[in-house]
Amino acid sequence: MQRIDMSVIRMVPTVAGFALLFSACSGNTTDNAGSGGTPGGSTGGTNRPTPPDPDADQIVSSSLARRLSQAEIDATLEDILGDTRRPATRLLNEDEFKPYDNDYLIQKGSQAFTDAMRELSRDVARRAVAEAATRDKFMPCQPSGPDDSTCFKAAVQALGLRFLRRPLSAAEQAPYLKLLAFATEKVPSVTTDFWTSIDLLLRAFIQDPEFLHRVEIGRATSTPGVFALNGYEIASRLSYLLWGSAPDASLLQSAAKDELITESGRSAAFERMMKQPRGRAQISRFHSMWLGYRTIPHPPEVTSRFAAETSKLLETVIFDEPSSYFDIFTSKRTFLTTAGARHYNLPEPVGGEGWVDYGNSGRAGLLSHGAVLAAFSKFSDTSPTQRGIFVRTRLLCETILPPPATVDADQPPGNPDAECKTARYMAHMDQSGCKSCHSQMDPIGFGLENYDIAGRYRETDNGKPQCKIPGQGEVVGIGTFSGPKALAESLVASGQLQACMVRQLLTFALGRELSDDEEPVATKLRTTMKSNGDSFVSLLRTLTTDASFALRRVPEVKP
Amino acid sequence: MKRITMNRRTVLRGMGGAVVALPTLECMLNSHGEALAQGGALPRRYAIVFAGQALGGDAWEHDRYMIGGVRKQEAGHFIAPTTTGTNYTLTTPLKPLEALKSDFNVITGMRIPFSTTSAAPAEVPVGGAFRDFHGGGCSPLISGMRSTSSSFRAEGITSDQVIANLAENKGMTPTPSLVLRAQPSWYLAGSSFAGRQYLSYSAAGKGIESQTNPQTAYNALFSNFTPKGGDAIAVQGFEKRSEQSVLSLIRDRREALLARVSAPDRIRLQEHFDQIRDLENRINAISIDSTATCNKPTDPGSNWPVGSDNAGSGSSEIGTNTGYSDETKRAEAMSDLIAMAFICDLTRVATLQITVFQSHMNVFPISTAMGTPIRADLHEVGHNGDEMNRGQLPVSLMLQWHIKTYARLVDRLKQSKEGAQSVLDSSAIVFMNEAGHGRQLNDAVSLNQTHSVENMQLLVAGRAGGMKPGRHIAATGKHPVQALLGAMKGAGFKGDMLGEVPGPLPDLFA
Repeated sequence: MQRIDMSVIRMVPTVAGFALLFSACSGNTTDNAGSGGTPGGSTGGTNRPTPPDPDADQIVSSSLARRLSQAEIDATLEDILGDTRRPATRLLNEDEFKPYDNDYLIQKGSQAFTDAMRELSRDVARRAVAEAATRDKFMPCQPSGPDDSTCFKAAVQALGLRFLRRPLSAAEQAPYLKLLAFATEKVPSVTTDFWTSIDLLLRAFIQDPEFLHRVEIGRATSTPGVFALNGYEIASRLSYLLWGSAPDASLLQSAAKDELITESGRSAAFERMMKQPRGRAQISRFHSMWLGYRTIPHPPEVTSRFAAETSKLLETVIFDEPSSYFDIFTSKRTFLTTAGARHYNLPEPVGGEGWVDYGNSGRAGLLSHGAVLAAFSKFSDTSPTQRGIFVRTRLLCETILPPPATVDADQPPGNPDAECKTARYMAHMDQSGCKSCHSQMDPIGFGLENYDIAGRYRETDNGKPQCKIPGQGEVVGIGTFSGPKALAESLVASGQLQACMVRQLLTFALGRELSDDEEPVATKLRTTMKSNGDSFVSLLRTLTTDASFALRRVPEVKP
Repeated sequence: MKRITMNRRTVLRGMGGAVVALPTLECMLNSHGEALAQGGALPRRYAIVFAGQALGGDAWEHDRYMIGGVRKQEAGHFIAPTTTGTNYTLTTPLKPLEALKSDFNVITGMRIPFSTTSAAPAEVPVGGAFRDFHGGGCSPLISGMRSTSSSFRAEGITSDQVIANLAENKGMTPTPSLVLRAQPSWYLAGSSFAGRQYLSYSAAGKGIESQTNPQTAYNALFSNFTPKGGDAIAVQGFEKRSEQSVLSLIRDRREALLARVSAPDRIRLQEHFDQIRDLENRINAISIDSTATCNKPTDPGSNWPVGSDNAGSGSSEIGTNTGYSDETKRAEAMSDLIAMAFICDLTRVATLQITVFQSHMNVFPISTAMGTPIRADLHEVGHNGDEMNRGQLPVSLMLQWHIKTYARLVDRLKQSKEGAQSVLDSSAIVFMNEAGHGRQLNDAVSLNQTHSVENMQLLVAGRAGGMKPGRHIAATGKHPVQALLGAMKGAGFKGDMLGEVPGPLPDLFA
């Protein structure tokens, strides 16, 4: 088994400042054959920008070919073909979330995947060609007859560009043209026409490993092992980071003009992309994975109400009324329907839905939302330990060791005879073996215990008057608190939440855990974000426009 | 019947794009129907059907339970019968096997070794379990290799892959081994399978991804049946040729792409291209003719919705419409696919993970259909998740639900004739579940616990290699892999170890 070293390259042994540097993989010095570039050289004529070589002080991250996640395949097929039936979610095995769905280090080929993609390609292609209305969504021309080779060639070019996210060379296109022969074949009981061959063409693209993986090749730079991406490769990086889907026609045009290899070109593309609905949806998706509420143990009607509340706050703070991103944790208001307000026992909004002030309820921001308070629960109830793990691992980016083998973590903790939950959990604190770890977690959860698994306020444990919930908590090392508002304020005041959020976003962007060597990259991003008024959009802009976004490194393979 | 001496391996190897008919077993039998005309024994089949649950409930003795809030004491529900030999009474979990009592052995009382004095990874005994139960019990159970962490990860090749790799099996069937899973989703909000979805491993840490969609599995296995005359043959020919064109287009792009990417990417992408090549070989190059027993089964259809995560984290608030994807029908469909794939000799090895390790499938729909509604997920059934329904009977009913699918597979093989005998006569079909019921592995103290590798059981059906079924065998203190090695021996394995565990249990053949 070969091991791949994912640590970064530093350009020079001493690093004075860090320019962010992203990277994937690859290993040869020729240009992408299909990119329209000159083999072995830069991609253009004299008036075209050339990709920059890395600066001497850049940190270069590495990555590998990344397989599209279920969500990415579904979004891609929707954007290219208009297919909204989420075929990957139906037919492929469930993705692993660590906590994001795109950790490429655990992806591997399998017969199960290949067989499922075969089914998926047949399913999607059949639907795509079934009706004129669906065909018009992706076809560049109307065929004049079953053997219209001009139109078929146009389809190979257009669909090849969309599915492989780069133009196909003439030599690459030629083999696909042979599929047109099936359009005119006479077979008893088989209706053949032009669409027979388009169906096959779609199946060929959808099952292609180059469609299913984001493969980056690029051009060698002056630094060994570091490569400059071409425009199309940058387009894919942008679109799968910001949209979770394929580059659209406009982005591909920018790629063709080599606009995306410059920071200004990426900046222009970025501004346009963030205005699209997919830009908002992707930010919601990132948060739902980061904060663990992508799935919560509530019925669909409750889940969708919570999701709407949380998305509204995110979109308001990030897009509609831009302010400090960390207001999502300290916001004094939330957007609710009448049913939502009644659920939380908050004042009802005027007109059936609207912003509701938290007042002095002790609530503020996302940590008061049903979605977030439902995540990290256990045994049908809140778990002070799990909520502590949530704060420590997701909000502060700390590592919590698993419980010792001798503990059966499937049993409710502590003394089962103790009537009140707090007393049961206090057993963790009585045992020296437990205390050292649980003192880092449980007190955080105790401070949120007044908020149940659906985010409702409660005075007592399980309705027992004798089990009054004290609601006092502590983040050891940060401070004491009571309730979500006080917790959020202390986390924000610590500065650790901000640093962690940036690491989380970088983890999502890279598709793997950060290596220790990449910490300075996150630090640099955080510093820039802070100087930009803590704007989340500015963070994404910095990430995507930095010179490093267009560079990558080949990881070393160790025997 | 026409006798031919064509070698299946030659056919499967020498396809080269041409469509050839795979010789059916029926054509290859000798005049007595007991062996192949060209010499050699009939192929042997090996399967494991798996349940991700224990044998009893936490802190409930084997004869005690609560249904509808009423406590009862009653024997006959724990899987191990009270008497050994042939004349035993079927217990509650074994009820679905009533008509097949003479066709399987129930082997009970086994245990995986563990250190009672230390939970340190270095102290795990040979073939033993790391003390954190769920992950720790997995590796020694399925690979015979000791576990040294709580990860769900077999530390060696699993028995099914050993059988698939035997010289007499390798390359002899279009599908080397069939790896299926009925439970498609993890169902526990906020986490993922993280290895609990693997039952088959090609090597340490190399879990084989299972197929979870019945129709995908069906199409992968049975697309190649020669239709019954008329236009259908031409239609199939057209479909095959057009798909061949699609796949060869992809295949032909392989070298150009691999030449352009870096070494680590080459490895990753090569893996996918290899699978495409295998797919091409499997679906395009051979055709299968129906025989008296080998027929294309009914298409299981495309409607297999996947349930969302459990409401109420798997305990008593659980209801309908969450945490369940009709695993009952999925398991039935998959067991039928395995049966026909065995009958047609399309594969000789299969695993069916009905539920995953530490399964959080909602059992409310299943238990309701069985007349005893239990509000919990499968994992919580053992951990007393439903306040009103706990202990031995609820756990045994869920085990019975799993065994019903196992019985369905065994019965199909028994009903299918192969020359003078049945397919079951040349099969070793194992039913395995995740845990026993006894001393807790974690603390090594608490008794009657689900987190236990004591009091484990295995069912082995069939007569492959001279196995003698029909009995309850008390294999007290033996390692479950020893029983597994017995089934493997029946299936043709000549070695005497799986992982670190030596010696097949001789009782299976006595």
